[in-house]
Amino acid sequence: MARSARSRIARSLLVLFLAVTTASPARAASPEEIEQKLKALEEQVGALRQQLEETRKAATAATPAPAPATATPPPPASAPATAASSAAPAPAPGPTAAPPPVAPVSPVGVTAETLGTLRPSWLSDFKLGGYGSLRFEGSDLPSVGDSFTYRRFVLTGDATIADRLRGYFELELERFTELELEKKTVSEGGSQGFSSAIEGSNGSEISLEQAWVEFIIADWLKFRAGNILVPVGRFNLNHDDNRWDLPRRPLVDRGVPVLPTTAAWSEVGLGFDGELKTDSLGKFTYEIYVMNGVALDSTVETFARGSGELEAEVEIEPRRGTANLDVKREKAFAARLGWSPSIGTDFGVSGYFGRYTPDFLPAENLWSVSADGKMTFGPFEIEAEYVHTHFGGITRVARGFAQSVLANEISSGTEPLESTIDFELAGLADTKQGYWLDLRYRFFPDFLRNTFLAWKFANPQFIVTTRWEQVWLDGLVTQAVFSDGALASLSQESRFVNRLTLGFAYRPVPLVVFQTAFERTWTNNGKSLASVTNFIPAGTSENIQNAFLFGVAFGF
Amino acid sequence: MISRRRFVAVASGLLVVRPRPGFAQEGTFLRPEDAPRQLFPDMTAATERSVASTPPLQARIRDLMGGLPTLWEAAYRIFEVKRGDSVAGFAVVVEEIGKHRPITFAVAVNPDGTVRDVAVLAYREAYGGDIKERRFLRQYAGKNGAAPLMPYRDIQNIAGATLSVEATGRAVKKAIAVLKATGSVS
Repeated sequence: MARSARSRIARSLLVLFLAVTTASPARAASPEEIEQKLKALEEQVGALRQQLEETRKAATAATPAPAPATATPPPPASAPATAASSAAPAPAPGPTAAPPPVAPVSPVGVTAETLGTLRPSWLSDFKLGGYGSLRFEGSDLPSVGDSFTYRRFVLTGDATIADRLRGYFELELERFTELELEKKTVSEGGSQGFSSAIEGSNGSEISLEQAWVEFIIADWLKFRAGNILVPVGRFNLNHDDNRWDLPRRPLVDRGVPVLPTTAAWSEVGLGFDGELKTDSLGKFTYEIYVMNGVALDSTVETFARGSGELEAEVEIEPRRGTANLDVKREKAFAARLGWSPSIGTDFGVSGYFGRYTPDFLPAENLWSVSADGKMTFGPFEIEAEYVHTHFGGITRVARGFAQSVLANEISSGTEPLESTIDFELAGLADTKQGYWLDLRYRFFPDFLRNTFLAWKFANPQFIVTTRWEQVWLDGLVTQAVFSDGALASLSQESRFVNRLTLGFAYRPVPLVVFQTAFERTWTNNGKSLASVTNFIPAGTSENIQNAFLFGVAFGF
Repeated sequence: MISRRRFVAVASGLLVVRPRPGFAQEGTFLRPEDAPRQLFPDMTAATERSVASTPPLQARIRDLMGGLPTLWEAAYRIFEVKRGDSVAGFAVVVEEIGKHRPITFAVAVNPDGTVRDVAVLAYREAYGGDIKERRFLRQYAGKNGAAPLMPYRDIQNIAGATLSVEATGRAVKKAIAVLKATGSVS
């Protein structure tokens, strides 16, 4: 009985399954129906062919030869898009206007829709760009002299990964021309050995300045993660060389710097940015990030003396944070709020806060605040930036460093080679503050528009620029003496650096600029510019530099 | 320092917010057929026609522009806009290359050949999308084809978007030239 019931249930399920599976697919069309559909399609194709031929004939008839310039042309043919639309009378052409006959075409959508659908939303759209710059510098300081500098070549890539996902990178080759590594096994006098050599251009650097991805949730809320520009000061965010009309970066951002480290300053982290547009108050923007942050880092320089001594100098200075494990174990924060009340005018306030000492030193923080802005009055522009940076507990840092190092001089007595290692705390000051102020005037005389300066360029420009910069360093560490694991003495001083630059630039197109400038840089009497800047290798008492600069910067 | 609990609370709050969808710099913002309504809010009717961009027409446009555009469209989509029985103006869809890609504009022109308004229909560059802001496009109202329409001359520039600003000027010149070349405006 039970078996019979199970059998009936199984049969019922089988019938139900067959019914479902056979009913699911659409019913196949009969051969007659397919034939009718083909016939209808053929008729439609025929009609379209006929329409195409008529259009071609009309085009040929309408444009057999250009109408003479003085002839009154026929009114342009047009094809109303909708039957309901009222046909407007063709306006009478002007006395000298001679519009050529035009052919009507079917109102196929122009490119807005067609181009908009060319790329599926899931297909990445990549744009490669970049910028580069070089400079000739003639200085009245013998240690600088006259020199060409290939400042940098930067490759940029921007990818729209999907409609609301975007990626960007910036790879910088600074003063870089070559890097060659050589490793081999050598055999001399019957004995084997290994040799390695590194050949590279002097003062070179390869740097990943930016590499991030952005998830656009709304215009006012975009999530960004990766290697991000720290939004402190307007120059760091707009540091592309071809955007500026002077061939040298400001002291505040690069030459001293007042920023915790030199621009372009980027850190690994994540956060949000966005913009809010209003009708009456203009546009507001913000950026807020958490990141690894600036940390004291070492740079080792080695010197092989003629006396047979090998000397190493370990320079400890604040540098951009690591992209590996954070040596501080604490994160830093940076934020910026911008306001643009009108086109050509914008203001911003920004700040940064975080620990700057690695975890083997006492925990000390640095903070940096900035205010910047730009105003445009026709051909005149005023642009400025102020930055104030405070390093906390420098004495405690130096004391902790002494305990770590134990001695400031370590000698190895293996004759004939003697090694000496010196440690130096560089770029640290209790407080750094400074500003730059640019005044610009853009013009191009009409009488030059038919010369080589303007030929084939739509809107060439001359730019006269004046930049005035001041930087104050309070409690600048000049010397730290360590003895037996203790800080014996810490010498600090207050310094200033001023610079005045007068520049003249020619921009044939917005992306390319030829720059000339005269600059005068000076610091306290009897002090060296070398101890307060990172680009003037002045002598011990050389406190003034006059320099002529010629630069070329280009973007693509 | 921000405590971990507070950080998690703020992050969670952001996640539960349902913001309006946002866009990258690039995107399609307006359909051509919707452009007349946006550019002439008081319009009563619009008639659309499409004019092939033939070599003679291109030559005429080039002469009227005073130089070559960065690209030639296959055809020009022209909307004649009416307010009651009178012609309020024209809207033309044109394109000009910014840095790498074409930007699609709709330019509204009064019957006397002066610009009424400009709208960005599609923007395809990574940077410079600020040109689609009303406060920037408003500058072109009242200009005619003889104006330079160039940054630092008669147009306020947008820093970082200079190429797109120049493209906007060329697009406006091209739109006026198209209407003149087709006899729509004098």
